[in-house]
Amino acid sequence: MIERLRKIAIWIDDRVYVSKIFAATAGHHVPRTSGSWFYVFGSGTLLCFMVQIVTGICLALVYVPSSGQAYTSLEYLNYQQQFGWFLRAMHNWGSNFMVAIMLAHLAQVFLFGAFKYPREMTWISGVVLLLCTLGMAFTGQVLRFDQDAYWGLGIGAAMAGRVPVMGPAIVHMMLGGPIIAGETLSRFFTLHVFVIPGSILAIVSLHLRLVLTKGINEYPVPGKLVKKETYTEEYEAEIKQSGVPFFPKAISKDLIFSGLVLMGIVFCAAYFGPAGPHGIPDPTQINTAPKPDFFFLWLYGVLSLMPDYMETVVMLTAPFIVIGILFAVPFISNTGEKSPRRRPVAVLSVLFIFIVLGAFNYLGTYAPWSPKMEAWTSAATPTNYLEGRSPLERQGALVFHNKQCINCHSIGGEGGLRGPVLDSVATRLTGDQLVRQVIQGSGNMPAYGKNLSPPEVAALVAFMSTLHKPTEAPARDSTRSAQAASEIKQPNTTAEMANAKR
Amino acid sequence: MMARLQIGLAASVGLAITLLAGCSARLPGQPTEAERWRAPNEITDFNQLYTQNCAGCHGAGGRLGAARSLNDPLYLAFVTDDALRQAISKGRTGTNMPAFSEQAGGHLTDQQIELIVNGMRAHWSKSDDFKGVELPRYSVDASSTATNNDIATKALQAGAASRGGATYKTYCSSCHGSNGDGGSAGSIVEPNFLNLVSDQGLRTTVVVGRADIGKPDWRGNVPGHPMSAQEINDVVAWLAAHRKTTTVAVSKVEHSACLNMK
Repeated sequence: MIERLRKIAIWIDDRVYVSKIFAATAGHHVPRTSGSWFYVFGSGTLLCFMVQIVTGICLALVYVPSSGQAYTSLEYLNYQQQFGWFLRAMHNWGSNFMVAIMLAHLAQVFLFGAFKYPREMTWISGVVLLLCTLGMAFTGQVLRFDQDAYWGLGIGAAMAGRVPVMGPAIVHMMLGGPIIAGETLSRFFTLHVFVIPGSILAIVSLHLRLVLTKGINEYPVPGKLVKKETYTEEYEAEIKQSGVPFFPKAISKDLIFSGLVLMGIVFCAAYFGPAGPHGIPDPTQINTAPKPDFFFLWLYGVLSLMPDYMETVVMLTAPFIVIGILFAVPFISNTGEKSPRRRPVAVLSVLFIFIVLGAFNYLGTYAPWSPKMEAWTSAATPTNYLEGRSPLERQGALVFHNKQCINCHSIGGEGGLRGPVLDSVATRLTGDQLVRQVIQGSGNMPAYGKNLSPPEVAALVAFMSTLHKPTEAPARDSTRSAQAASEIKQPNTTAEMANAKR
Repeated sequence: MMARLQIGLAASVGLAITLLAGCSARLPGQPTEAERWRAPNEITDFNQLYTQNCAGCHGAGGRLGAARSLNDPLYLAFVTDDALRQAISKGRTGTNMPAFSEQAGGHLTDQQIELIVNGMRAHWSKSDDFKGVELPRYSVDASSTATNNDIATKALQAGAASRGGATYKTYCSSCHGSNGDGGSAGSIVEPNFLNLVSDQGLRTTVVVGRADIGKPDWRGNVPGHPMSAQEINDVVAWLAAHRKTTTVAVSKVEHSACLNMK
């Protein structure tokens, strides 16, 4: 019986070359030093991609790529289909992990000089894979057809629309018409499900083929320089002398890491759940604060903080410059030192880029440039700012809400961050200066003179004059004697009395 | 060795299946019905409606806000449903209470306003506490709830205001000062303050007080001696009469601002 099975197996192997393919791929020898914990990120990214394919196929069984039903089908998954939410969460967290691990892979490859001769094409195919993955992330965010998707796409289209001459045509092609509609979703569905994943499969094959033919990078040793004339010989000699088969030696760490990544995805999916959908994509729903997913938060921060005069230039040239630099990396530094210990510029560049991206991402999470349009009715005045205040000052706190000052200015950690925090405004501005600021505005602050009645101004200023720490004296007009000041600032007497009491 | 592995594998698969299917415990990531996005005009949960629309001024949980405490059984026993409905939907002209109904430029539907009124009653009313207590009437007359400063109200109050001074001294001066312009609780005759509150608002505060910040109601100003209906009317009229000095005070504010600009 066993002999017969063996024969069948040999017959099949003889026709499809399973064992030969195995020997040539998994069985190939790699430098002993490459079996390192630093070399696990590539396979980790591939694992995430496989998770995305499996969960993506399952999602595609339910998802309806039409503008009318996409949102409903996501709600169906979240609230009706057994474990539908978990499927969405797995796909969402799979993509988060994929982008994060891919960035780690990119940083590791860059720091270890793996892009140098003779692996330029491996790096270039990797850059294309990075762009494809970001393309998957963006198109995936659009398929979650909610308010974030709608406005994210709107911003993408608006940026594309700034291209000179071609702009409108590009937008038309991107959206499948002049507006975001059913055709738009069909286009992004096609890109997300067929075009980009197909490209990724093809380019991953090339990427892995190159890893096989040009070999995996050996662990860099400081002082061991890459020379075009001798590198290949040295590499082959090292493999012959101390190489280990990829399977089962070097792969073991990859497998352990992949297992941890899988557990991480499952844990995050079970614990944090899916993302959204955050509201139907209806442009008439104005009380929304759409935000992109984390891989584009930094871009959201950059675009929000950029001065408007440089917007068009930066939007249309920066992506090409950045991508161009990524492609050019192996040609800028093709040979020489590989070890990060001897490449301070490379190390500092990576640190700089991650810190900048991290800082913009952090800013993007709380968007201090954006007023909080709901704050005036929902952010309660901190109770310690009302304690012991006079009736006029309490009315001032109400004016502060009713005229929506709190949407841009925070007090006690409540409210927007668009304008200065006002917790200790009374130490910076005198009553008169506050009146002037409120009535005339300045800088980014609009003038409120026409929107506030004199009693409202008086109450508001009385309230703001109380905003200082008990240990800090309020600002005083040094050009006036104490007596004259008190005479002119009569409407604020209650405020000052309250301060004097404190 | 192999057998042990198989047993272990079978056990962990079994455990996983039990955890996933058999166990009724909810995983923390599973979205709940409460997290489901709803269009603002479809929100029907009182707590959510209150937190999003009222908490800014009336305080989280209806207490300790800058505006009137709504989580106050006495206030809820005193105010009528209709007055609440009117105040929420149309706001109070001349005060800091804005209109919330869609017809008046806000974004609450009539049904949501009804939910807020009912929700305040359901969550914060304790009508049993006021059985047998004779509460003063909510309003003197219907017109005074609608507008501030209107002529009819002023005419009504003219006589009352002269009596109100004495009533004030009896009931209010211990906290607000002998003339109303100071004391531990701050001035209540400040013209700018009076221009931002309606007569009904003054009346409500005189009757109901602010239990959350320690201001007594109409029974507690002089312990054991509740204010009579007449006294309440009089003291509100007396307070309202102090509004007339507004223009003088305001011009001073503007004047000082002009001085500063130069």
